Amino acid sequence: MSKKLLLAKAHVPGIRTYEVYRHEGGYTSVEKALKMTTDEVVEEVKKSGLRGRGGAGFPTGMKWSFIAKPEGVPRHLVVNADESEPGTFKDRYLMEFIPHLLIEGMIVSSYALGSNVSYIYIRGEYAWITNILEQAIDEAKANGWLGKNIQGSGFDCEIYVQRGGGAYICGEETALIESLEGKRGNPRIKPPFPAVKGVWERPTVVNNVESIAAVVPIINEGGEEYAKIGIGRSTGTKLISACGNINKPGIYEIDMTISVEEFIYSDEYCGGIANGKKLKACIPGGSSVPILPANLLLTTAKGEKRLMNYESLSDGGFATGSMMGSGGFIVLDEDQCIVRNTYTLARFYRHESCGQCSPCREGTGWMEKILQKIETGKGEMSDIDLLWDIQRKIEGNTICPLGDAAAWPVAAAIRHFRDEFEWHVNNPTLCLTENYGLRHYADKIHVPV
Amino acid sequence: MQSYLLCVEFIMSEEIKKSTFTVTVDNITLEVPPGTTVLNAARMIGGDVTPPAMCYYSKLQGSGGKCRTCLVEVAAGSTADPRPMPKLVASCRQTVMDGMIVKNITSEKVQDARAGVVEFLLLNHPLDCPICDQAGECHLQDLGYNHGKAGTRYQFARRTFKKEDIGPYIQLHMTRCILCYRCTYVADQITDNRVHGIVDRGDHAAISTYISKAIDNDFSGNMIDVCPVGALTDKTFRFKNRVWFTKPVDAHRNCENPKCCGKATLWLRGNEVFRVTARKDEWGEVKSYDGKTGWICNTCRFDKKQTTDWTVEGVTKTSRHSVVGVNKYEVLNKPKETMTKVMNGRDPKLLMNIHEVSEVNPTK
Repeated sequence: MSKKLLLAKAHVPGIRTYEVYRHEGGYTSVEKALKMTTDEVVEEVKKSGLRGRGGAGFPTGMKWSFIAKPEGVPRHLVVNADESEPGTFKDRYLMEFIPHLLIEGMIVSSYALGSNVSYIYIRGEYAWITNILEQAIDEAKANGWLGKNIQGSGFDCEIYVQRGGGAYICGEETALIESLEGKRGNPRIKPPFPAVKGVWERPTVVNNVESIAAVVPIINEGGEEYAKIGIGRSTGTKLISACGNINKPGIYEIDMTISVEEFIYSDEYCGGIANGKKLKACIPGGSSVPILPANLLLTTAKGEKRLMNYESLSDGGFATGSMMGSGGFIVLDEDQCIVRNTYTLARFYRHESCGQCSPCREGTGWMEKILQKIETGKGEMSDIDLLWDIQRKIEGNTICPLGDAAAWPVAAAIRHFRDEFEWHVNNPTLCLTENYGLRHYADKIHVPV
Repeated sequence: MQSYLLCVEFIMSEEIKKSTFTVTVDNITLEVPPGTTVLNAARMIGGDVTPPAMCYYSKLQGSGGKCRTCLVEVAAGSTADPRPMPKLVASCRQTVMDGMIVKNITSEKVQDARAGVVEFLLLNHPLDCPICDQAGECHLQDLGYNHGKAGTRYQFARRTFKKEDIGPYIQLHMTRCILCYRCTYVADQITDNRVHGIVDRGDHAAISTYISKAIDNDFSGNMIDVCPVGALTDKTFRFKNRVWFTKPVDAHRNCENPKCCGKATLWLRGNEVFRVTARKDEWGEVKSYDGKTGWICNTCRFDKKQTTDWTVEGVTKTSRHSVVGVNKYEVLNKPKETMTKVMNGRDPKLLMNIHEVSEVNPTK
């Protein structure tokens, strides 16, 4: 049983309300942080080794220390709650059930960064969570945790919730900033980085919901204590949103020392593959990270057990590894078709590409069409090589990481499951009704004329 | 990390003190003022080492970075930090650092990526050059000719759009658009009221006025000049002539509009003015006069179609690479005679000298 920091109080009845949350020891980190200097708070987060939970895994403390501090220019904290990655739903759980944890973390973080006005940019589809958060903000304000002169410390802070319009691209930090400013959500060209010029050309830090929530236990328990949990550079606990063909899908808080095998098969976590099937493949960190076949998922190329942490999951690079990403753990059993799965992902990225830079705009659509062709039994062998060439020309040549995110799943699927693609090409009629795995029935899919 | 940051700050302040930066592009070293972009440094050298640019426009603030044709490899970031950059960078937005080493045509990675970008740009392009008014002065044509492949690997239907009328002067062909955003920058920065923009996202993103408004600003015609392809063309010139049949002449008039430059290029065939555009430089951008960009107003562009409206200065000098300039070269470069050199100093012994038997062009 790993230690729970974020979800420890999640099941207390009424934890969504201020009274219960406060009674359970809420807002103590704010009391503690306000007695410290801002640099001490940043130092504490640095000591904790907390890595950004949004996907890239950049150390949060270091990100905070990069923020420019010009005289007389306000700074902002923006919480990225635009959780749109297929397979990731951990922030939704946090905000929906323990909204005060995020508010508390934001007050501490805003204090550390000197942000008097902080924003939560929430995805438009989470409409009801916006209300929950706004209610939590009102409660916090009524009890003196927000507004002017918080708890007599002289620090002012306001938090505003801004709803997005339902675009995956607005989860990219510069596109999020553009959208927050009321513009079209196109990623900006970096540099300048948001730490220098962000919202309204002011220094801005954009953090994931989970990263900000993790600041609360860091301040409560101390950065060094927090760093003791976990292994290597993967410190603390991580929320994993597990979904797919498993017995117990849901949100799990793990301490990053457990193995992938344990996570999938133990009853404490996913509880094994549903319906007694076999594991075929897994996307371990949200839709944009490379897919791994079962054998490479459970053990690394060196033959070691793969652990649920940043280093172990990316062991072997993209050739034999993947990424921790945002923790969207998607498990595929033997009945799943990799070509169809890749086609679904490609369709998503085509739909969500902002259309600003040409490789992503044109390439994602092209990949989708070729994958659809293969999936519907009209593919040719040369299409597989063509797909490989297209993804290679998108990756790294775009403004923002969406191009990479669109290219990686396709690359990994071809890298590890090329035989399945070839089977689709060689069996154009069979692939419509049967599956490559154990050839179980797969849904017939719509064939466009 | 703190010390690293301090170190960076120190280097930055040292570099700012220097009045010029040394930058090497494809093994050609030159000095440029700080703040110059890699693309502009390469343009100072000119010729083949200059990366192509489809979306960047030096006269429009904020443009660039979108089309990815100008990607270059940075082999060394600067003298202080000589590490290479991990990814290819957009040269139009990357400013030079002292001691930066840039590889453009000498890098295979760049050539490969650029071929990819050209393929992407042409993927959904209708390739209707035979009926396109932009043919002959189209940047995408030049790009495809210089960096593209003869065939396409795309086997699907090209995307199409609903036709939209954006007013009496400008014809919008959305299928030809490469979404460079230049026209939106023109509308933002040159005209006082932008009524068009990009709607939708991804590969169905489109230039549109959204509520079917006519673009009727005094300077809206400049959108035609900045458009690198035939997406925005002049309705008054539509299907009237091919650009290579017309003869460009420089002309000016005293325009009543204080913001109008008044200097323009008239495109004549015989004595008839078919089209009026702003004057363009070798990069296809509007020229500047006395530090002011030579944008012209719609009156000059669309209404003054008589030679009597203008004071003609003379024939516009065009590049010998331009189809417009065929047989009107500014300087005629005769190819070098290399035969003697190849044959170790001996003159070629011909079976028959054509000039000795020719009645048309005999030797004197």
